[in-house]
Amino acid sequence: MKIVIIGNSVAGINAVEAVREKDKISEIKVISDEQTRAYSHPLLPNFVVGDVSRAEERFYYRERNFYEKHNVKTLLGRRAVKIFPKNKYVELDNEEKVDYDKLLIACGGKPFVPSMKGVELNGVHTLTNIKAADKLKADLPNIEHCVVVGGGLIGSKIAEKLAKKGVKVTLVELMRRVLFPVLDDAGADYVHKELKNLGVKLVLEDSVVELKGDKRVKEVVLSSGKTIKANSVIVAVGVRPNLDFVADSDIEVNKGIIVNDYMQTNIDTIFAAGDVVEAYDIVISQKRPIPILPLAARQGRVAGLNIIDSNVKYKGGFPTNSITIGNISFISMGIVDSDEFEVLKIKKDGEYRKFLIHDDKLIGAILVGNIEKAGMFNWMIQNRFDVSWIKDTFLNSDFGWKYFNKAFRVLRLDRKIK
Amino acid sequence: MKIVKINEDNCIYCHLCEVACVVEHSQSKDIIKAFKREEKPTARCGVEFNYPLSLSVMCRHCDDAPCMEACQNGAMHRDDRGYVVVNEDKCVGCWMCVMACPYGVIKRDTRRDVWGLSTKCDSCPDRDVPACVEACPNNALMFEEI
Repeated sequence: MKIVIIGNSVAGINAVEAVREKDKISEIKVISDEQTRAYSHPLLPNFVVGDVSRAEERFYYRERNFYEKHNVKTLLGRRAVKIFPKNKYVELDNEEKVDYDKLLIACGGKPFVPSMKGVELNGVHTLTNIKAADKLKADLPNIEHCVVVGGGLIGSKIAEKLAKKGVKVTLVELMRRVLFPVLDDAGADYVHKELKNLGVKLVLEDSVVELKGDKRVKEVVLSSGKTIKANSVIVAVGVRPNLDFVADSDIEVNKGIIVNDYMQTNIDTIFAAGDVVEAYDIVISQKRPIPILPLAARQGRVAGLNIIDSNVKYKGGFPTNSITIGNISFISMGIVDSDEFEVLKIKKDGEYRKFLIHDDKLIGAILVGNIEKAGMFNWMIQNRFDVSWIKDTFLNSDFGWKYFNKAFRVLRLDRKIK
Repeated sequence: MKIVKINEDNCIYCHLCEVACVVEHSQSKDIIKAFKREEKPTARCGVEFNYPLSLSVMCRHCDDAPCMEACQNGAMHRDDRGYVVVNEDKCVGCWMCVMACPYGVIKRDTRRDVWGLSTKCDSCPDRDVPACVEACPNNALMFEEI
């Protein structure tokens, strides 16, 4: 069998590993427009400021000999431009045709750049891949004042990193708080304080409408009419599924590529996984893109197993995020800000805990400061665990196994219940 | 594959498993040096107490390990023996494994300069029987086939 994978990151790599667990014979080809072996995207802000470089193994997602060890042919620096499902081949940007029996689309997301005048000026950057990170890193010595557009995970992290390097940073966020879908007001307040302590200026409930300058950006105009003198802008408003080359194909697409429980598209020889798809969110009970790394890994694995006909279902996922800003660590999962559900929360010395419960099931959580045992809550959400008898202990800083019912605890710890 | 089986009825909250774990993962593997002279490692097992219950909990070495899935750079991996372990040279302390671990047994070590370090049971690669099991005076921890 000929297996072709478009994309050389988390979903694609996990698919390769899944296939090779059982199938050492099929040919696997990985196509990517990036030249680098798979690397860690969350480390890009660290890469820009020099915490980590290409010379370090830490930067990479898998070891150097991964492709050789898994008998994978790589077509790096090549972009897939079109899929021909009837004749089962992918056309590359050099017009080469790559035949497949099973195809996996795992080409990830691309940065969403909102329409603003002057976006083509020098000094304007994004930060979702190594090429953009290289460009920003090379420009770093020129940057005195940077406006970061968007207070999401990438925006908040690069704002923190640049401020620590001594760059003057203004973070502009459209909503009333940073990390809007990830935290609630009380949680985001900690981030605001940490960023301010590092010297980051926060401009909330505002957006950038125009970038002014001759060749290089000099000034940023906000929709409120305010202006900020800045010689660099980083646009970090979010990522969208990268649907460029499936746009005029027969593959069904909504916000992302639509897949079934087997990570299979409407064409049964074509699978999709990772940031490019919209898969099932078990918390909100509908399909939507959730561009996070752990789900890309899981979906890639499920796709890989089904490519070799293992008949494994993707059980669905939900957003989970872990970020450290300044001295405080944050973990959040599921629905984190809603009045419609039962809410348990407590704020105490250096710690904030919040839990959302619906029909006796945990559907979301925020942990700030004390993130110990966060994964136990993750498990409860994923397994729709009845929390009615234990939820009162969630607010305890020392939450743990000791609060569970004995029979259940023993079965879990003996791995009799997964 | 053998993992540490937890017999909570036998646990007397003595913390000797934690002591043994610290010593085993110290530079010198000497108890005095480990606790008083060297940088003390974090114990990979954790004793919980809620009278009259107590139990020591450590990694269950899942088959489909969610911590490995969540790891951003492959620092969390399965070693040749089949156990889930952290590559300390790679770990960047993003705590995505903490977020993912269904047993809540990954601890944070924030003492390194640049990068945090996720710390968890490695099933003692230098020993036939893990140190915590050997140290337990009451068979509350046993090394058994799962």
